[in-house]
Amino acid sequence: MQQNTYLVDSVEALERKISEVRKAQEAFSEYTQERVDQIFRAAALAANKARLTLAKDAVEETGMGVVEDKVIKNNYAAEYIYNAYKDTKTCGVIEEDNAAGIVKIAEPIGVVAAVIPTTNPTSTAIFKCLISLKTRNGIIISPHPRAKKSTIDAAKLILDAAVKAGAPENIIAWIDVPSLDMTNTLMKEADIILATGGPGMVKAAYSSGKPALGVGAGNTPAIIDESADIVLAVNSIIHSKTFDNGMICASEQSVHVHSSIYDRVKAEFAYRGCYFLKPDELNKVRKTIIINGSLNAKIVGQSAYKIAQLSGVDVPESTKVLIGEVTSVDISEEFAHEKLSPVLAMYKFDTVEEAFANAEQLIADGGYGHTSSIYINELTRANVLAEFMERMKTCRIVVNTPSSQGGIGDIYNFKLTPSLTLGCGSWGGNSIHENVGVKHLLNIKTVAKRRNNMLWFRAPEKVYMKQGCLSVALDELGSVMNKKKAFIVTDSFLYANGYTKPIEQKLDELGIMHTTFSEVAPDPTLACAKMGAKLMESFKPDVIIAVGGGSPMDAAKIMWVLYEHPEVDFEDMAMRFMDIRKRVYTFPHMGDKAYFIAIPTSAGTGSEVTPFAVITDEQSGIKYPLADYELLPDMAIVDADMMMNAPKGLTSASGIDAVSHALEAYASVMATDYTDGLALQALKVLFEYLPKAYESAVTGVPNKEAREKMANAATMAGMAFANAFLGVMHSMAHKLGAFHHIPHGVANALMMNEVLMFNAKEAPAKMGTFPQYDHPHTLRRYAEVAETLGITGADDNEKLQNLLDRITALKEEIGIKPTIRDYVPDEEAFLSTLDEMSEQAFDDQCTGANPRYPLISEIKQMYLNAYYGEHKDV
Amino acid sequence: MNEKHEILAQRSHKVIYKDGDTVLKVFDSDFSKADILNEALNQARIEETGLNVPKLLEVSKIDGKWAIRTEYIPGKTLAQLMEENPDKLDEYLDLFVNIQKEIFSKQAPLLNKIKDKFNRKISASRFDATTRYELHTRLDSMKDHKKICHGDFTPSNIIITPDGARARLSSEENSNAGDTNETEATNSNALAEYYILDWSHVTQGNAAADAARTYMLFCLKGMDEVAEKYLNLFCKKTDTAKQYVQRWMPIVACTQSVKGKESEQDFLERWVNVVEYE
Repeated sequence: MQQNTYLVDSVEALERKISEVRKAQEAFSEYTQERVDQIFRAAALAANKARLTLAKDAVEETGMGVVEDKVIKNNYAAEYIYNAYKDTKTCGVIEEDNAAGIVKIAEPIGVVAAVIPTTNPTSTAIFKCLISLKTRNGIIISPHPRAKKSTIDAAKLILDAAVKAGAPENIIAWIDVPSLDMTNTLMKEADIILATGGPGMVKAAYSSGKPALGVGAGNTPAIIDESADIVLAVNSIIHSKTFDNGMICASEQSVHVHSSIYDRVKAEFAYRGCYFLKPDELNKVRKTIIINGSLNAKIVGQSAYKIAQLSGVDVPESTKVLIGEVTSVDISEEFAHEKLSPVLAMYKFDTVEEAFANAEQLIADGGYGHTSSIYINELTRANVLAEFMERMKTCRIVVNTPSSQGGIGDIYNFKLTPSLTLGCGSWGGNSIHENVGVKHLLNIKTVAKRRNNMLWFRAPEKVYMKQGCLSVALDELGSVMNKKKAFIVTDSFLYANGYTKPIEQKLDELGIMHTTFSEVAPDPTLACAKMGAKLMESFKPDVIIAVGGGSPMDAAKIMWVLYEHPEVDFEDMAMRFMDIRKRVYTFPHMGDKAYFIAIPTSAGTGSEVTPFAVITDEQSGIKYPLADYELLPDMAIVDADMMMNAPKGLTSASGIDAVSHALEAYASVMATDYTDGLALQALKVLFEYLPKAYESAVTGVPNKEAREKMANAATMAGMAFANAFLGVMHSMAHKLGAFHHIPHGVANALMMNEVLMFNAKEAPAKMGTFPQYDHPHTLRRYAEVAETLGITGADDNEKLQNLLDRITALKEEIGIKPTIRDYVPDEEAFLSTLDEMSEQAFDDQCTGANPRYPLISEIKQMYLNAYYGEHKDV
Repeated sequence: MNEKHEILAQRSHKVIYKDGDTVLKVFDSDFSKADILNEALNQARIEETGLNVPKLLEVSKIDGKWAIRTEYIPGKTLAQLMEENPDKLDEYLDLFVNIQKEIFSKQAPLLNKIKDKFNRKISASRFDATTRYELHTRLDSMKDHKKICHGDFTPSNIIITPDGARARLSSEENSNAGDTNETEATNSNALAEYYILDWSHVTQGNAAADAARTYMLFCLKGMDEVAEKYLNLFCKKTDTAKQYVQRWMPIVACTQSVKGKESEQDFLERWVNVVEYE
């Protein structure tokens, strides 16, 4: 091809070359995995075949290193990299999980600017070309002038092999006559930079404005702990330090030896051909290796013998490593520097602390983030190793391993990624901390398909019903569960009126000791719960029986919590959550000390089957709404006998509360077929039997059927909202009740019509967020409620209107007044709290499941509408 | 020029005369006109910073040769004093570094930039492409500052007036070579005790580069011990890490080599031939 024939020797020529590579890469980016893998293989084979020639060329050109070791590096760069990535997917869809709805798609980054150092020119070129080919990137190499011929030769032979295997022409290119200008131009115009080189080059890469994978200097300390295998340690260090005459950046620069084994270590080094410098020789070598704090270029990659000669020190020609025994780790000590040659500093230490502090200093001054090494007995000195691992600020910590061969991975440890470019983390000013691999040259797109969030249905393990079932249900406390002590929680009214009598009698019959706490007041306080819990603590019940409406059941749940986990923090437990499964706070496990039985005496709250409880801190006035399935009673006993004589106010308020539970659960964004069935059936029963139960309470003529239907409907509605949760009607009722002392059920009733109209809007300002809630469809849901109740209409809007009328009628039938004003005649008092109420209602836990996400201003308008009984559109 | 003009110094391309209470620097006729005018301009710019320098009086042509006339400052150079009173070396070095700090505390935004000058010098040097590449890369990574760098700051370029033989700078808290410290110098020195001469090499840039040059100039004169003392004192007084100054040494050595003094080449080559770590 014509374009290959010109030299890249100027910025203009480089610009031309970049555009050619870019064009080639565009074509390459369309290649399939199969074609890419063929090219990758062909390139790896070609590089591997040329390993010896390239090694000889590199040594000849740079005058550094050892041919035989460079052969290993070339071989490694071709074979290990191929082996590591031959089956790695790098093109198109690389991962797919249909169930989770996740697809990952790999795309090339574009053109890689590769800066290649003099120390490992051919192997680094092979490595970078191979990983670029595998990832469908183009690559342009900026060689170091000292090694340009061998670097370019390596790149060229890989290009030829790749093109022969089908890669586009020009997918690999290089600068023929390197200059800083061209290198800077390349880095600015490439899409990513793979910079290997000194701090100057790495800094240039990072200031180019392009993402850079730069790596920096190493200054690896090797600790030889007293527990080390001395022969293994010394020979590993020699093996690593002499490799390519010490030019691998992970190579050991200093060895730190415990005083108890110092002489043996020294003897082993000497025995294996290392030379210990005498004091006067030490100074000569110092002056030779470092000039003004910088490394003398003439010693890099030279043999120990040659460096000794340059220093005027006489050593045997076969000397492997020159060792200087020094004490200072300050940078004014020449031996404390990175030496890129077989010259090693040796320190003696008495304590691990001393050794680690020295290692830390050497790393901080010369090899931040790179590599550290230790020789130690992993088993007997695990704690020392752990401390080393914790303290060294290096991204690779190699144990009992030659650090040159160990740091590049896959030779002495097979889970460390093989690479010739080693990230040094933020410590080394790098964007990555690990060994560079193909994943760093890919843009991976994640496709996230919409999936439904799993839902659930949870209820007490036992729910017993039918009028008169109480006595039978309690039997199993003795016969099956073998309970010994029961703690009954109730309120003073129920206690005084004998509601706990049948329970106590039954317990006596079963031989279960029992005691009763009857001081629960409405809106139970933390003080009350604490008092109960204290009694529990001394009585030590193995069963707790809550008897009553919402207040005793809630109070009993809190006592249960305090009894089982006296250490809990209510503020943490009450923290508002978006998803009960993802909340920060993990609720403590309940039931280890006592079994919990709930026996409702009114038809409405549903607390006997819900995971909720509300408690008020009487000191701060804060209400803690607790929600967790750990709070679910173990057994609910729904016996209409307990409700037969409920007064009319309680009957209507708790009855309409049950209606609100069913309506909100049915409209909730978390509603499921399971909760829908319960909610609709509950509503059907409630609309029919609530007026009858109310009438019975008014007349005093018991109506067993109505009471039992109501009891079951209230519990079913409870199960529905225990799983689907509630909505903004409850959010608003909670605050209305708290600010203006309106009974909870009545407060719900007052907001009911407004909230239904609000939620039914087909184009709300904001809709609720939940996967299954795909569009505002609550109008239809309310129409379904209407249909269940036998309410007709020409369309859904009419059905809704008729449902609203029916609700209004129901409220009237059971003696609930139509507006808030009827309960809060002081208009000014209401208006003065309105803003605060609106804001708090917005922030209520119940708001999250509402199908329409309310704005605070909308809540305020609903309050106003419900106050005056005049509907303004919200 | 005639015999009434005492010759103060004779350099390779110029002769410096004393003419009454002025000094006349007469350049060879083949000397670059641009360089001469630049030197005069530099001098004028430095004058404006308030540093104690001989005032520029005139740029003219004498017998067809360009000449720069400045004030004559009576006194001895600090170099002479150091030689005459070796026991006071520490005292003199202290003053020397304080004066250099005083210079670093000033700015002259229109001066040439040190990096531009050094890049040109590296390109013009006789080192091979590889070495120049290393030096360019090293220079490129250095921090850009805007401090006045004298460019030939040696004791022979400081004149101590007879009244100022016990001169001291009171201020210790001014410039810091490691950072762009803009603290204003407190030494106004109305009764000038010292004057700084020869602004022909002045640039603006990183103070550490100028310190590295001063260190090198001591070393080139074989004053290794003084050089070490100077560097330690400089680093201490300016709170600069020694290796920060050392990183400039291969670069200043290369720029010095461009002057082509044969006797210096081996020494400078040794300084230049270093590598950055990998």
